[in-house]
Amino acid sequence: MSLIKEFTKGFIKENPVFVMALGLCPTLAVTTSVENAIGMGLAATFVLVFSNIFISLIKNFIPPKIRIPCYIVIIASFVTIVDMVMHAYVPALHKNLGLFIPLIVVNCIILGRAEAFAGKNKLIPSIFDGFGMGFGFTLALIVIGGIREILGVGQFLGFNILPKCYIECPMLIAILAPGAFIVMGLLMGLMNLKKKK
Amino acid sequence: MEFIGKIFALAIAAIFVQNFVLMRFLGLCPYIGVSKKLDSAVGMGMAVIFVMTMASTFTWLIQTYLLIPLKIEFLQTIAFILTIASLVQLVEMVIQKTAPALYKALGVFLPLITTNCAVLGVAILNINENLNFLGAILNGLFAGLGFTLVLVLMAGIRERLDKAEIPVSMKGMPIAMVMAGLMALAFLGFAGLKF
Amino acid sequence: MKYFLKLGFVLFVITAIASGILAYVNSITSPIIEDNQKKVQEEARKEVLPAATKFIPDSVVVEKVEVKDPLKKVSSDTNNLFRYFRCFDENDDLVGYTFEASLYGYSSEVKTMVGVSPNFTVEKIKTISQSETPGLGANCMKEDVQKRFFNKKKDEMVVDKDGGTIKSITGATITTRTIANSIKNSLEILEKNISEIPAEVPEKDTREEIAK
Repeated sequence: MSLIKEFTKGFIKENPVFVMALGLCPTLAVTTSVENAIGMGLAATFVLVFSNIFISLIKNFIPPKIRIPCYIVIIASFVTIVDMVMHAYVPALHKNLGLFIPLIVVNCIILGRAEAFAGKNKLIPSIFDGFGMGFGFTLALIVIGGIREILGVGQFLGFNILPKCYIECPMLIAILAPGAFIVMGLLMGLMNLKKKK
Repeated sequence: MEFIGKIFALAIAAIFVQNFVLMRFLGLCPYIGVSKKLDSAVGMGMAVIFVMTMASTFTWLIQTYLLIPLKIEFLQTIAFILTIASLVQLVEMVIQKTAPALYKALGVFLPLITTNCAVLGVAILNINENLNFLGAILNGLFAGLGFTLVLVLMAGIRERLDKAEIPVSMKGMPIAMVMAGLMALAFLGFAGLKF
Repeated sequence: MKYFLKLGFVLFVITAIASGILAYVNSITSPIIEDNQKKVQEEARKEVLPAATKFIPDSVVVEKVEVKDPLKKVSSDTNNLFRYFRCFDENDDLVGYTFEASLYGYSSEVKTMVGVSPNFTVEKIKTISQSETPGLGANCMKEDVQKRFFNKKKDEMVVDKDGGTIKSITGATITTRTIANSIKNSLEILEKNISEIPAEVPEKDTREEIAK
C-alpha cells in the first residue's frame, strides 16, 4: 500500500518541478519539443532509478562524512553511461539535448533524492521513489514541452496539430528563451491556484 | 589591439549575447532561490564568480594534462564534478577561516554552488568551444559576471515586486519566472551582436 | 589520520569500480559512434551527387587564411588540409566533387555536405550538423531552405541581405549567411587547387585501397 504511495507522490503532490522547484535548468532548456522532453525525462529517470538502487545498497558502507562525494561519483557514472549509450544509439536526440545530458549529474532532483531518501531507506522503496520522481519529472517536461511546441511551431511530436495558417506564422517566442520562463511561471501560478482550492 | 578585441568579444558573448542564465538556462536554481534580497544576491554572485573562474582553470588543466593524454575523456563528467565539489569544499573552509561573517551570510547556499549547473556547464563549454588556457579562465570569469549581473538585476526587481499587488497564486516563484522571461526577452535583443 | 585514510580509500574504491565499468561501456559504444558519423557522411555524399557511384578521397594543403584567435586552442595540422572527394560514375567519368563546408554560425558549427559539378557549380547541398536556435536557424535543415542553394556558382552564393539571390530564413539571416559563406570559401579553395590535380580515375588496385 505505502509502496504505491511512494510511487505516485512524485506525480502531483511532490512533483519535483512544479512543487519542489528542482531541476529547473534542463526543464526550461530541453522543452522546445515533446520529443526532446521525453528523451530527457527517460534519461533522467534511468539515472535516478539506478543511482537510487546502488546508493540504497551500499549506504551502510559509506562513512557519513564523504557520502556526498560518493553519491556524486555513482550518479556521474550512470550519467556517463546514459551519455555514451545515447550517443551511440540515438545520435539525433543526443545532439538536441547536448550539454544537458552531462548536466543531469547536477540535477538537484537526483542528488536530492539520494540524500533525502535512498541514503536512508531500503532497496525496494528507493526503486519506487526513483521511478515515481522520474516519471513526475518526465510528466512535467512533457506538459511544458507540449505547450511550447504547440504554441511555437503548431506541432506535437512532429505532427501538425494546429491549422496551416497558424503553422505559417506561429508564436515563435514560445520555443525561444523568454517563452520558456513565461510558460513556466504561468504553469507554476496555475499549480498554486489548484493547491489553494 | 586584436588581442583586447577578442577578449572584449568573449566578454560580450558570455555576459550578454549568450547569457548563462537567460539564454543558456544554466544556474537557474540559485537564481530563483537567492534573488530575493539584494545583499545576498551580491554575496552569492561574488562566490559564484570565484568558483566558476577557479573551476574553469582546474578542469581545463585536468582535461588537457590528464584526460586527453591517457585517452580517458569518457571520465570527463566524473572528473569535472569531483573537481568542482572539492573546490567548493575548499572555498567553504577558506571563507570560514578568513571571513566568518560572509560565511554566515551565505549559509547553506555555499555548498549548493556545487550543484549549480552553470559551474559544470562553463567547464564543459570551455572544452567544447576549443578554448585555450587563457580563454577558459576568461570565459569562466565572464560567465560568472553575466550570472551575477542577472542575479543582481533580478533581486532589485523582486524587492520592488514584494510591494506590488499581485494575485496570490502568482506570488513568489511564478511571478519571478515571468519576470525572468521578460528579462530574457530584453536580452534577446543582443542576438547577433558580433565583433 | 587513520580515519581520513579510510575516507579516501572508500572514495577511491568507488571511483575505481565506476571507472572500470565506464571503460567497458566506452569500448562498446565508441566504435558504434564512429561508425555512425562515417555513415552520415557517406549517405550525405551520395545524396548531394546522386549520379556518382565511386568516391575517391583526396586533399590539398591550404595556407591558413583565418586570423589566429588568441583565446582558442591552436588547431592541429589537419586544419591545413582541405579534404574533398572526387566522384565518378560506373563508366569512370568524372561526375563532380563533394566536400564538407563548415563555419561557425550563430551558436554552433554548421557543417554542410556539398556536391559540385566538374565546372564548380553547386548542384545539391545537405546540412549534416548544426545546433542553431530551434525554430529559427535550425530550419536550415528543411528541404525548401536547402533548395535555395542548389544550382549556384560561387559568385551567386550570396544571401539577399548581402545583395544576392538566396532568400534568408526569416529571423535567421546569420545561419543562412554562414552556410553561404562556408560554401563560398570551400569553392574558392577547390577552384584554386583542382586544376593541378588530374581528373582521371587512378589504377584499379590503388583505388580500392584508398576507398577503404
